Amino acid sequence: MNLTHKNTLYIIGLLLLFFNVSCFAHGVDSNTEQFLTTTQGSAIVPFLYIGAKHMVTGYDHLLFLVGVIFFLFRVRDILFYVSLFTLGHSFTLLLGVLAEINMNAYLIDAVIAFSIIYKGFDNLNGFKLLLGKEPNTKIAVLIFGLFHGFGLATKLQDFDLPQENLISNMIAFNVGVEIGQCIALLFILTLLGFWRRHKSYFSFAKTSNTLLMTGGLVLLGYQLTGYFTSL
Amino acid sequence: MNTLPKASIKSLVISCVVSIVLAIFILLIAVLPAEFNIDPTGFGKKLGLTVLAQTDAEVEKPAVVTCPETTQSIDGQTETVEWPDSVMITVPARKGLEYKFHVNKGDKLEFVWKTDGASLYFDFHGEPQGNTTGYFKSFKESTQSESSGSLIAPFTGSHGWYWENKTNRAVIINLKTRGLYKIKGLM
Repeated sequence: MNLTHKNTLYIIGLLLLFFNVSCFAHGVDSNTEQFLTTTQGSAIVPFLYIGAKHMVTGYDHLLFLVGVIFFLFRVRDILFYVSLFTLGHSFTLLLGVLAEINMNAYLIDAVIAFSIIYKGFDNLNGFKLLLGKEPNTKIAVLIFGLFHGFGLATKLQDFDLPQENLISNMIAFNVGVEIGQCIALLFILTLLGFWRRHKSYFSFAKTSNTLLMTGGLVLLGYQLTGYFTSL
Repeated sequence: MNTLPKASIKSLVISCVVSIVLAIFILLIAVLPAEFNIDPTGFGKKLGLTVLAQTDAEVEKPAVVTCPETTQSIDGQTETVEWPDSVMITVPARKGLEYKFHVNKGDKLEFVWKTDGASLYFDFHGEPQGNTTGYFKSFKESTQSESSGSLIAPFTGSHGWYWENKTNRAVIINLKTRGLYKIKGLM
């Protein structure tokens, strides 16, 4: 338990470091860039902000992340899985916008909701109990990361991006998403870190993941209703 | 990597059932009424959540601003001009409302109304006093942006307009009246 706590602090420290560095770097860069590119109609800082805000307030992405790191205690594991998720969603975010893949936002968000249900079920040992083995979590996180990226792409496409400066705006959005993810993870890991010091974390693990599944189901119902009413 | 204590099929089933029931409950009671105005249980309406499902323009409340057209004459006396009663009635987007006067049988209600642009569907009608059957007599039914005329009440009761705004923007009506009546106002 003590080791876990130490690890958590270590993670928070690492993230703080990364966050500060990246924030600083991008802050300066983007400010300069904005100054240089305002005349060309690019909007780095606004897109950074939009990306970060979307992630910090994007409870669907966050619930999935909570599910993913719920039983991850080692810094290496957390960084690895979060990286897989980042890799997945960045890839489809860029692909979706560049290739102008127009997906139905409701259906994509429904898949994202499903990813939360999957992770809650997985954390409850559902796959091991029912199938005797669990699907490869690394591959699952990567694949669901891809879907989350398409979700981000549909949000970005809502802005009617001008073709000029498309790439810089899009990358700004993507970087913003990662900044937002770092901020959100800091909060989540801080809270989980404190909670993990108590036995209740483990006795409530079942409840927590049941609630996680509930959240996913509510989001699924919400998105599917949205889809069918928009037809 | 999973360290869930005492995992069993039984507890898994319980978890799944609980989460499904809870999710359905939350969806039916809160999310669907508040987000989509879908309210199969009626609880959403009771809790006032369905209001949230309406767009901003729709949430706008019907409003009446009384503006009697009176002018101050130089000697300080109030001089009433042609129309003693004048109101501005806001009909929210995609909503209908009624504005009524109590008129006794044989009394006269003269009126002129005009919207700020859009045409509204309207039904100028009267309901006999004390009648609870829902009966009403329609005097004029049309879709216009203005109308004027006078009514000699065929019976004692509540007379007035039902306006329905089928556009996506709130429409303001300026209604001016004179005659023998009591203003009942917005219904």
